[in-house]
Amino acid sequence: MRTLVLPLFWVILSAGHVTSKADAPRPVLVPGKIDLKTIDGIESLSLLLTDQAGVAVKDLSNTATWQVEPADLARVEPGPTLIPLRGGEGKLIARTADGKTAEAKIRIASPAARQSWSYENHVMPVLTKTGCNSGPCHGAMAGKNGLRLSLRGYAPEVDYDALVRQASGRRVRPGVPEESLMLWKATGLVPHGGGTRLAAGSRDYRIIADWISTGAPGPQVNAPHVVRLEATPARARFEAGERGRVIVRAVYSDGTSEDVTGWAKFGTTDSTILAVDDDGRLKAENPGEAHVTVWYANQVTTVPVSVPNPAKVEPNLFAQAPRFNKIDEINLAKLQALGLPPSPDAGDAAWLRRATLDITGQLPASDRLKSFLADKAPDKRRKEVTRLLATPEAIDYWAYQWSDLLLVSSNKLSTPALWAFYGFVRESVAANEPWDKFVRRIVTAKGSSLTEGAGNFYAIHRDPTDLTETTSVAFLGLSLTCARCHNHPMEKWTQDQYYGFASMLGRVGLKDGDAAGEVIVSDRPDGEIYHPRRGKPMPPQPLDAPPLAAPDTRNRRDALADWMTSPENPLFARAIVNRVWKKFFGRGLVADEDDIKATAPPWDADLLAWLEADFKAHGFDMRHLISTIATSAVYARSSDPLPGNRSDTLYLSRNVPRRLPAEVLLDVLSQVTEVPTPFAGFPEKWRAVQLPDSKVANGFLSAFGRPERLTTCSCERTNEPSVAQALNLANGEALNGKLRAENGLPRRWADSPMTEEEIVDGLFLKALARQPTPAERAKLVTGMKEAVAGIDDAAKRKEARRTAVEDLFWAVLTSDECLFNH
Amino acid sequence: MIRLDAQRKVHLCGGVSRRDFLHAGALPMFGLGMTQAAAARAATQAADNDMNCIMLFLVGAPSQIDCWDMKPDAPAEIRGPFKPIETNVPGIFVSEIFPRLATMMDKVSLVRSTYHQATAIHDTGYQMMQTGRLFGPGIEHPPYGSVMAWNKGPKGDAPPYVLLPKPIGATGGNLPHAHGAGYLGKTYDPFILNADPNAADFQVPDLLPPDYVTAVRSERRRSMRKAIEGNLNAFEASAEAKLLDANFRQAYAIMSSKKTREAFDLKQEKDDVRDRYGRTRFGQSCLMARRLIEAGVRFVTVNMFETVFNEVTWDIHGSAPFTSIEGLKDEVAPNFDRAYTALLDDLYRSGLLSNTMVLAFGEFGRTPKINPAGGRDHHPGVWTSLFAGGPFKGGTVVGESDEIGGSPKTRPVTTGEIAATVYQGLGLKLDMELRGPGNRPIRLVENGNEPIHELFA
Repeated sequence: MRTLVLPLFWVILSAGHVTSKADAPRPVLVPGKIDLKTIDGIESLSLLLTDQAGVAVKDLSNTATWQVEPADLARVEPGPTLIPLRGGEGKLIARTADGKTAEAKIRIASPAARQSWSYENHVMPVLTKTGCNSGPCHGAMAGKNGLRLSLRGYAPEVDYDALVRQASGRRVRPGVPEESLMLWKATGLVPHGGGTRLAAGSRDYRIIADWISTGAPGPQVNAPHVVRLEATPARARFEAGERGRVIVRAVYSDGTSEDVTGWAKFGTTDSTILAVDDDGRLKAENPGEAHVTVWYANQVTTVPVSVPNPAKVEPNLFAQAPRFNKIDEINLAKLQALGLPPSPDAGDAAWLRRATLDITGQLPASDRLKSFLADKAPDKRRKEVTRLLATPEAIDYWAYQWSDLLLVSSNKLSTPALWAFYGFVRESVAANEPWDKFVRRIVTAKGSSLTEGAGNFYAIHRDPTDLTETTSVAFLGLSLTCARCHNHPMEKWTQDQYYGFASMLGRVGLKDGDAAGEVIVSDRPDGEIYHPRRGKPMPPQPLDAPPLAAPDTRNRRDALADWMTSPENPLFARAIVNRVWKKFFGRGLVADEDDIKATAPPWDADLLAWLEADFKAHGFDMRHLISTIATSAVYARSSDPLPGNRSDTLYLSRNVPRRLPAEVLLDVLSQVTEVPTPFAGFPEKWRAVQLPDSKVANGFLSAFGRPERLTTCSCERTNEPSVAQALNLANGEALNGKLRAENGLPRRWADSPMTEEEIVDGLFLKALARQPTPAERAKLVTGMKEAVAGIDDAAKRKEARRTAVEDLFWAVLTSDECLFNH
Repeated sequence: MIRLDAQRKVHLCGGVSRRDFLHAGALPMFGLGMTQAAAARAATQAADNDMNCIMLFLVGAPSQIDCWDMKPDAPAEIRGPFKPIETNVPGIFVSEIFPRLATMMDKVSLVRSTYHQATAIHDTGYQMMQTGRLFGPGIEHPPYGSVMAWNKGPKGDAPPYVLLPKPIGATGGNLPHAHGAGYLGKTYDPFILNADPNAADFQVPDLLPPDYVTAVRSERRRSMRKAIEGNLNAFEASAEAKLLDANFRQAYAIMSSKKTREAFDLKQEKDDVRDRYGRTRFGQSCLMARRLIEAGVRFVTVNMFETVFNEVTWDIHGSAPFTSIEGLKDEVAPNFDRAYTALLDDLYRSGLLSNTMVLAFGEFGRTPKINPAGGRDHHPGVWTSLFAGGPFKGGTVVGESDEIGGSPKTRPVTTGEIAATVYQGLGLKLDMELRGPGNRPIRLVENGNEPIHELFA
């Protein structure tokens, strides 16, 4: 079993950030003790100035002097790396430039033993680090110049065969290892398309040569395998310009561990903040936070590195900032660590518009806004969220959003099936069914798809790989597609895991029912999905969990649902909490909600961990989660930037305006003008977010980025402004038609005795949830008055006033302030 | 003033008429009797001698061996089903599935040794062939068109960079497809048509205001919109809001320019012209690309397909939903052959070919060995790219692939060198610095990437 790496550092991160003068940083030497079982081992060294919370604040490895006692026991090479010289015991002393020291005991097995190199744990890592089995080289699907290796070594038995048995055995010559073609090619002794990859005489060269000379032993079924990686530092806070290095140990299934710094693959999640080279050397570039990603032997770990803002922020600003719930505490700690001042509260009116749009997809009614502002209750925001969540509009809106996730659409469903699927979703939202129960009903759906609407999930995804990948994306936020054909080259998912997971879904039975569009979903007693490389099915096995035990009597989908919704499952709550968060802030705690991966950690891991735990503790209660987010001080922050947080678009030191989603925007235009949008085949006054089907034709919705619901991917929806959208608002019938509709509000107000001032004020309240400023009111009233000035004929005057009011509505409805949630 | 070229019925019910709006912002620069296309060309040539470019992106990745780099002497499992044919340039042969190209080879040069070394998924190729670079974490490089838009700006009212007909959709890898301007900022994103110009009811969505929105009203709307200033500070700091405003400005420029609007109107072309390009989404997009260049657009990208999954493309894996090699000759190759040659022919006849580069290539090549399903799989090891027009010579072959069309044998050409060639052709300095994330300078092309000098006349 592989250990999941993420929760581990979440725990470490929770330790807190604050340091006081009493606990000044001190140098820490890693590893704390050196214990080499053979004379062939090496040890990468790191000397870190570390604060009380265990955060590295400076890397001293290259400025320190290193000393071994006794001196003939080992030597320290630049790196720094310790190289053993003989068996025995002693100690290593690191001395900083200002005279502080740190020590580590050294023990090297005596008498000195030699390492027997293993194919999987030593030879393959060398081939991977040197790039031999990379995609552009011999790891290509077709191999390269007659040698084909599996991509980054996912199929050791095949690679071993290629190296040792193919090419008439010339590649590996145990009697004369130095004459092996494999070494000649890699060192460039004979022409090699890939050039020189290995220096003759280097440690990696010797490992290959020694392995060959001992008969080139092949992969062993029971050889220890890597279960996790330990990176040092575990986390760091480096000033911009600071440099350092990450060193890595692999921990094996037999409990031993080994320095693999030289073989690991390093990367960065944001090269503008943190530069990282192939050897794990890093440089803090700009303020912000990024992670070093470490990949080795299909295990992944990350090192969070924060680079503080050099500008000093008044500490009181953080102490005095409002804290409405735990979200705020965690966020303020992050802002303080990064030196980003929080913007103040946006005020009740701005908050109400924001929350009503996010929860119901509608604007707050003017009356509601007035009574909310008049309400003096201290917990009025919480009460309002509770009230909003129970409105039919909120139920429509959340049913719509989960229909996006589940691809409810007539793309593949008949009309009755579509309504059955949509009905299932909407009823569940209306009842606030806990998320685990909702997903369980989908995963275990049985019977007629017309009576059990959830079963349409299977009717849409009939192909087993499509079903496997959609299930993992939709409910676990994991993109497994790469692992269908080979181990994921940059993540930890293996092809074996993919097919083990696929087997969980391998016995779904589908047959057409008697009614039109009806599908009967069942569980078959047999049937397998074959692993393409192994040519046999993998035993059913959830991700990062043991395979189903042989006498397990549950059917596989029930077992899958049990595992998925178990409170111990770290993937399930994380995925949905992240999705919901994104709906309120425009960006997830993990940026890609459909591809949560170890190499792209959340920007605030503490916050995500707390939200998950709280969501589970409240029984996967969706309304509780939404309420917690919407009543936080973070959510209520003004979108007005302060001088110190203007460039922040990630850490929520201020609210980041978001363009309204296509359907919400269209409904807002309908709501303000009081002219509904006609949808063919649907009753009058039907709103866009009530549509059960993404295929209902509407040019406005398409132009503004409505998703097509073809594949489960948030990328289907696009909220980015475009010229086409501006053209639609300026010239399109969607808005212009509403502005001049016979019974619309613009027409009614124009034909009423209302003054220009009253019209401007009324419209601002309705569309923008605020009063106009005196300057705005003056300009707009003047514009309207000019339109009718000098027209004596009553009929013409009436017409001119109508156009003036229409134009006012157009201006307000197409303003940034209306088109954005801010 | 009465204008004879008003396209739609004129309404005179609401004071100022629609046609007045149309001309309120545009100069009535063309005399009567001159065809619009000719006038547009004259205007373009007079206004600006800058180099333009049309990039035909052959989504799915054409097979080098079955198209432009045939291996008739290779074993059967390599050479494929098609025969080479002679072209109008002695010594250059292409596949029999491109009979029209064979008659125009003197206008086209082939780079038969293009290759890349990134992962063999479509997305990496889209990135590298449109920007010269593989994207890194936090870094999305701009495509050629965005760099042109950023460096040169619009010519008149036409948007500088247009993408037809739609962006490339999902093709498996989930990585960016290099359509957006990346770190240059969304202001330099392309204007995307997002419609099928071959559709019977095609029109660019909402290019004109409705009749009742007169010039006076339109102006009133704009000034009222500007008067709403609440939360200005917040929107000033919002990239998205700034983009929306930029889009409004550009929309007004397009709306008020007759020349630009008409460039999108394919009904202005005779039926036989439209037929010559082929009545396909790609064919009509190529025709529109020509009209857009005539109207002052600097760079047009035409994506030949939207995805590789739900339509027949160059992605010939053999097994469903992909076609086999044989399948190329039925739809995909004739579609390309017709549109490409019609485009070159029209540009040549009008004289625009001399300042319009026409690029055509895919994201990688295909495996030399035919797979068991009768198709070929992804193979970035080597493929062929096509260069025509602008400063490029025709009738030249640069580089060779090996005996089986598996890797470059002579003169290997990287995607960085392709980018250097495109930028050199466009007249941009290769050592120009772009502003990357965090204001970090990024060279237009990586140091060491030289243009393919053999291509230049």
